[in-house]
Amino acid sequence: MPNIQPYQNPTYFLILGVALLPIMIGMLFGKKLHWYQTLISFAFLVLTFGGVKWEQGIALIGYIVFEVCLIGLYHLYRKKKNATWVFCSAVILAIIPLVIVKVTPAFENGQVALIGFLGISYLTFKVVQMIMEIRDGIIKEFKPWLVLQFLLFFPTISSGPIDRYRRFVKDYNKIVTRDKYLNLLDKAVWYIFLGFLYKFILAYYFGSRLQPMVAQLALSHGGMSWWVVAYTYVYSMHLFFDFAGYSLFAVGISYIMGIETPMNFNRPFKAHNIKDFWNRWHMTLSFWFRDYIYMRLVFFIMKNKLIKSRITIANLGYLTLFLIMGFWHGVTWYYIVYGLFHACAIILCDAWLRFKKKHQARIPSNKFTEGLAIFITFNTVCFSFLIFSGFLNVLFFHGTLN
Amino acid sequence: MNVFKKLFKIFGPVLIAALLLFIFLISPFGVKNISQTTIQKAALSQSPNVFKGTAVKEAAMSQNYVPFFGSSELSRMDALHPSVLAQKYHRDYRPFLLGSPGTQSLTHYWGMQGIRKQLTNKKAVFIISPQWFVKKGVDPNAFSFYYSNLETVEWLRQAGNTRMDRYAASRLLTMPSASSSETLEKCILKVAAGQQLSSTEKTYLDLKYNMLKHEDQMFSMLTLKDKRSLIETGEKQLPDTYNTAKLNKIAENLGKANTTNNRFNVDNNFWNKRLKKSYQKLRNEQSNFSYIKSVEYSDFELVLNQFAKQNTNVLFIIPPINQKWADYTGLSMNMIHQFNRKIKYQLNSQGFNNVVDLSDDGSSPYFMQDTIHLGWKGWLKVDQYVNPFLSKKQKAPNYKINNYFYTKNWQQKENISLD
Repeated sequence: MPNIQPYQNPTYFLILGVALLPIMIGMLFGKKLHWYQTLISFAFLVLTFGGVKWEQGIALIGYIVFEVCLIGLYHLYRKKKNATWVFCSAVILAIIPLVIVKVTPAFENGQVALIGFLGISYLTFKVVQMIMEIRDGIIKEFKPWLVLQFLLFFPTISSGPIDRYRRFVKDYNKIVTRDKYLNLLDKAVWYIFLGFLYKFILAYYFGSRLQPMVAQLALSHGGMSWWVVAYTYVYSMHLFFDFAGYSLFAVGISYIMGIETPMNFNRPFKAHNIKDFWNRWHMTLSFWFRDYIYMRLVFFIMKNKLIKSRITIANLGYLTLFLIMGFWHGVTWYYIVYGLFHACAIILCDAWLRFKKKHQARIPSNKFTEGLAIFITFNTVCFSFLIFSGFLNVLFFHGTLN
Repeated sequence: MNVFKKLFKIFGPVLIAALLLFIFLISPFGVKNISQTTIQKAALSQSPNVFKGTAVKEAAMSQNYVPFFGSSELSRMDALHPSVLAQKYHRDYRPFLLGSPGTQSLTHYWGMQGIRKQLTNKKAVFIISPQWFVKKGVDPNAFSFYYSNLETVEWLRQAGNTRMDRYAASRLLTMPSASSSETLEKCILKVAAGQQLSSTEKTYLDLKYNMLKHEDQMFSMLTLKDKRSLIETGEKQLPDTYNTAKLNKIAENLGKANTTNNRFNVDNNFWNKRLKKSYQKLRNEQSNFSYIKSVEYSDFELVLNQFAKQNTNVLFIIPPINQKWADYTGLSMNMIHQFNRKIKYQLNSQGFNNVVDLSDDGSSPYFMQDTIHLGWKGWLKVDQYVNPFLSKKQKAPNYKINNYFYTKNWQQKENISLD
């Protein structure tokens, strides 16, 4: 059986184009072919998780059964009672599979956990979000079929963007007018082709051409050299164009299916400060962390009056958020340092913004300072990506690539 | 706006792009003229794009260009380099340099696939590096760097159930490059197993061939390294008429002038860049190097087999190793002599009789440009063989390929005697 990873090559897009044709025609005539959509979703999941990756397929099925039951049971409980410990247990149970997958390589010499599969993180984000909103009482009904559609929405299954359940369901059921749909199609084609430019030209050039070259040069030089600096920027460009390209595909394909999956990137390198950067970079993830970790922690602390100073509360929130984000990327020193680095950067940024507000009259603000701000932010971010890349780990402790 | 108009606005450009792509890539039409300048540049560039492609090679070799197969030594472009001598003395032939650091027998076998026609009943020069013959042969990464699917498609379109094709397929399957396309990998697997390709696969190969061929025609010549100025600089250092004694003096002077900062007669630049910092660590470092047991011998057999198939008359050159450097690094001369006997046995016993063994010249000063690469006097000596071989009419070769050389037994064989 063939196995094609999402958006991997032209063949995937060709198959996708043909498969989506009936959906497009249906939508143009104001019809949503839900049964057909389910059929091709299933087919594409088989394409991604079948064949040589069948073990991942089994893991996915097991995971989905477990999580959907968990959501259902928690929903059932929540209709009657609302104890905090039950809620906490539900969240912990929901993230246990992800924790196992993330921790296994660190303890088993880089071995991958059996229960892992491509996209487990993104599914877990979706599940946790649902449990939290069930507790808040915003998600009132449990419809297993819709939950499945939401979790297994194939265009975003491997790496997001992370949609929200209520938003998704609204789009899923809504009939779009022909004009509105034509606009969606227009955007979809534009996003997909921009994605081609990003992923297959720019990311390829930076990632497959330049990166191995500068990596080799940096390693053969050893220690700190200008090649490490070059690597920093080359890697950053590769990371952005690869992920942004992928996200554009996911959003474009969602649009064709009538689902307005939120955008993931908004010109991140134009950010004026780190805070601004996180509102532009991997947005659905940072908003998820903001809404479900940062805000909840801050509210919890304030409600229980654990800490008085608002500034301390915010800083503690940032530290928690980015540490969790670091651990989520993987249990290695460089992901955790990356998280800490960003936490420090954003705490500093906040302090600076407060200082600026106080001394507004004396601090100039013009085109030059704006440029400077963008320059500093860009370089700070690129440096954080150097940490994130793990290249320093190779450079400091191994000296060679594999 | 009406729906169809709007739809056309959205999908029109996509369809037009797809159509254009089809016309330029998959359809069998559209050949680009290759200019003389491009050919001249390509012949000297040693660029992987030229090596992996076929368009420029075909164009050049249907003129008076002769393929010079080799590796890193080809880039030692001093005044006595074959390309300089051929141009300066208006020889009938011009070298087309095929090879750069990392190209070995297997790389060359695949590189030859696109120029089978141009090799048929023609001449070629092949420089064998003993350093290729390490235990596992070519490094997979280096192989990938010079590999292209175009070569494989060319090869698959004519591959049959022969020992050569089966061996080539099984070797390719050990390289990461083989899995770059699923369909191609399946075809290679079939050839390795001695099976026939299906008609669907053949059609696929034909379409893929058109596509890759056009890609090669359009893109492989875009960024050619221009080394013509190196050749011109070399030419200026040479006398107007060919005179061996005079040229020998020039080679000697150039060698002397360029090897002043070390005691190994190694080119100054090479010394500064590659050895100065690390040479102390290299003392006796090569004492257990061996080029006797290697899969490379069978890979080399592929090259010989292809030459035999095309009836190409080939001059083989076995370069020496800088003696001073070999002594310093502890490289065993006994082993080198064994290597020479083994490789010569493989050549001679199959009718490849034009073999120039320079292995005794390693102690002659300025024969090598650095540690293992031919230079000034070495190139001049090479010319003493290359020029008559290419300029004069040669007896037609008579090759007898022996499949024994594809076996593990031969790869591992030691102590060959030449009689």
